[in-house]
Amino acid sequence: MPILEAKNLTYTYSIGTPFEKTAVDHVDLEIGQGEFIGIIGHTGSGKSTLMQMMNGLLKPTEGTVLLDGKDIWEKGADRRAVRFQVGLVFQYPEYQLFEETVYKDIAFGPKNMGLDEQEIDRRVRETAEAVGLREELLQKSPYALSGGQKRRAAIAGVMAMEPRVLILDEPCAGLDPKGRMKILTQLHDYHKRTGCTVMLVSHSMEDVAKYVSKLLVLSHAKVVAFDSPSAVFADGDRLEEMGLALPQVTRIFHALRAKGITVPDEVYTVKYGAEHLLALLREGGGQC
Amino acid sequence: MEPLIKIDNAHFSYPPEDENTPANEVLKGISLTFEHGELVAVLGHNGSGKSTLAKLLNAVLLPTEGTVTVAGMDTKDEEKLLEIRQHVGMVFQNPDNQIVATIVEEDVAFGLENLGVPSAEMRVRVDQALQAVGMYEYRGHAPHQLSGGQKQRVAIAGIIAMRPDCIVLDEPTAMLDPQGRKEVMRTIKLLNRDYGITVILITHEMDEAAQCDRVIVVDHGTVHLDAPPEQVFSHVQEMRDLGLDVPQATELCYLLREAGYDLPAEILNEQDCVEAITALWQKRLAT
Amino acid sequence: MLKDITLGQYFPLDSVVHRMDARFKIIITMLYLVMLFWGQHVISLIAGFVFLILALICSKIPPKMPVRSIKPILPVLIFTGTLNFFAMKGGTIYWQWKFLSVSSQGIQTSAFMIVRICLLIMGTSLLTYTTSPIALTDAIESLLSPLKKLNMPVHALAMMMTIALRFIPTLIEETDKIMSAQKARGADMESGGLIQRVHALVPILIPLMVSAFRRAEELALAMECRCYHGGEGRTRLRELKSGMRDYIALGITLLLLAAVIVGNILLSRT
Repeated sequence: MPILEAKNLTYTYSIGTPFEKTAVDHVDLEIGQGEFIGIIGHTGSGKSTLMQMMNGLLKPTEGTVLLDGKDIWEKGADRRAVRFQVGLVFQYPEYQLFEETVYKDIAFGPKNMGLDEQEIDRRVRETAEAVGLREELLQKSPYALSGGQKRRAAIAGVMAMEPRVLILDEPCAGLDPKGRMKILTQLHDYHKRTGCTVMLVSHSMEDVAKYVSKLLVLSHAKVVAFDSPSAVFADGDRLEEMGLALPQVTRIFHALRAKGITVPDEVYTVKYGAEHLLALLREGGGQC
Repeated sequence: MEPLIKIDNAHFSYPPEDENTPANEVLKGISLTFEHGELVAVLGHNGSGKSTLAKLLNAVLLPTEGTVTVAGMDTKDEEKLLEIRQHVGMVFQNPDNQIVATIVEEDVAFGLENLGVPSAEMRVRVDQALQAVGMYEYRGHAPHQLSGGQKQRVAIAGIIAMRPDCIVLDEPTAMLDPQGRKEVMRTIKLLNRDYGITVILITHEMDEAAQCDRVIVVDHGTVHLDAPPEQVFSHVQEMRDLGLDVPQATELCYLLREAGYDLPAEILNEQDCVEAITALWQKRLAT
Repeated sequence: MLKDITLGQYFPLDSVVHRMDARFKIIITMLYLVMLFWGQHVISLIAGFVFLILALICSKIPPKMPVRSIKPILPVLIFTGTLNFFAMKGGTIYWQWKFLSVSSQGIQTSAFMIVRICLLIMGTSLLTYTTSPIALTDAIESLLSPLKKLNMPVHALAMMMTIALRFIPTLIEETDKIMSAQKARGADMESGGLIQRVHALVPILIPLMVSAFRRAEELALAMECRCYHGGEGRTRLRELKSGMRDYIALGITLLLLAAVIVGNILLSRT
């Protein structure tokens, strides 16, 4: 059974006003346990609205969200409990830090869950380590950290609730290449270690493509693709038509194919592309 | 002709938090010149000192040691402050926090109002600036109705209405989506090409730097590299070590070169990369 | 959602009223208020209604816009209207139960009051619909400029108003976002007693304050970089210029006001 499911999910803003806009339009989705999913789509494609419905922050205008097969908007359902299971990290999460110390800030979520001190302590220390925050930083004010550290502390605050699904909205926005790499590799490790489901919203396909097992492409409030990255990128023209920038290396390989060189069309990382190209050059043949 | 901006052995330290900590030296002796009409990218990871460097260029910060000269004026000369800032305009990262007025055209006029430009001339310059960045149709809009890229273009219009020689942009695309990034880069390049405005673009996006004529890599408060992008990005490993990256086209060719194939080292964009690989392939087929 | 709240929303159109000098518009609006509240005779309301219709036609603002501006105060209107309706005694009494009664005076007073408040809201909303916030603050700065002689920082005040207006939508959106983010971490804002609820605001207020300070700092820097140095020697994109139409509009308003005053005196004698 999928862990998280969207059925006919729809959200319309400002119903009955001239500003009425459907942000998510009859979306069906099945998210399996332990998947690492990348979500891409241009601004206004409905990514953020969809994310907020997945953890019960927004009530769908139509359709339902099922967690373990149970409707989260069912009468008597505990939405707060849903939010602990489906953790959501907003864009620029460092702007939500508020406690006196990093430790207390990471502990905010677990404390709201009503856990005991010992369990909270374990979780704070474990997640701080997972995002690479050194022990001595925990007693510092969150405002004394560097930009990248703040971001990671904020992500740790959601991880510490040990959600079964972790959703992150643009966790790398505004960081330098090193900071981006750090967060992405940490998320990758976290996913491998805990086996929890991770959903990663990003504008940068270059970043996402390296790590995810599946890509969800949204355009104009609808799901246009939900498949493995290689399958999604193989249909590159369609993505470009939707105004989504393909990774540069993917475009290069598409152009090479157009020139009659028999390279694969689903290349999305430089390493993979180089390996194929080298093999092809060594063989020398293989031309059509 | 004298250079537009001349930085001579500039050092900069932020004052220490208390007496026990040493002063934090961010810039450690930087010497650079910027000529009229250049399109320059300044690369460096967070904390490399690139933003501090930007702030020296229009007297927001003054060097603790060394000098910065803008069009012949020392930035330490307080009487020339307004003139210096008119010569060198500045656009910041967060588009929301640099728009002052509630209507687009009023915001573009803000700098001119401060300079005391007569209202009739202001009207002309505001309209021209808005047209130059392609935001003329939005002149009556409120800032919060615009997308990030549009807001950033309004901020740029507000600077060019002051007719500066140079615009310094401090990570102008960091908070934008791919669409907004494209819009801003297109605008910047157009201003440089058609209006001859010197552009100094602080960024950590490699593909943006690749579109400039000159790339300066700042690391630990010093200038590490200062060369055309083809040369800078050919140092693939060195860039990685500095916490930076190279465009994927460059990286792909680098990997092939490492494997012993003969490819030019100065490849920056897809087109050149495709051509080089196709040429290599045809050579391989011929043998 | 919070950001759906409209705050004195400017409605850009090309009309005589939009082109009028904002200073005159403010003065005329004030005269209009005097007109509405002068005396207790229905002539005030008639004059006010005439004024409103005239202004509405000249401004090209769709009539449903000012009508919609009444919506937020509807509960207050209904409450005070009902109170007046039942509590007032005087004139013919139609119905009575304990302290509640329905009298001709009650009906009159409550109708009078409701119409008056509606006219008040619609008239002032017309001012903000037809005048950009910047023009408004400019006009206020200009009208208050005599106070500069008393060393009042009039320019600084006007600048503060402009910036406040500019950042209200931004901060509302930010509040929305922070609230959702803290809710996602299990913050509970809907239950508990007063103290608990106030306590629950801390995770929202602190980040909001920090962010407002950060924005202020960045904005100050950006303003400095654009040569801002106070009000001295500043020119404006839109100079406040008064013309014939402003004097005509003022004249009409004064005539209506005079009619109300004279009418009140004459009619109250009989």
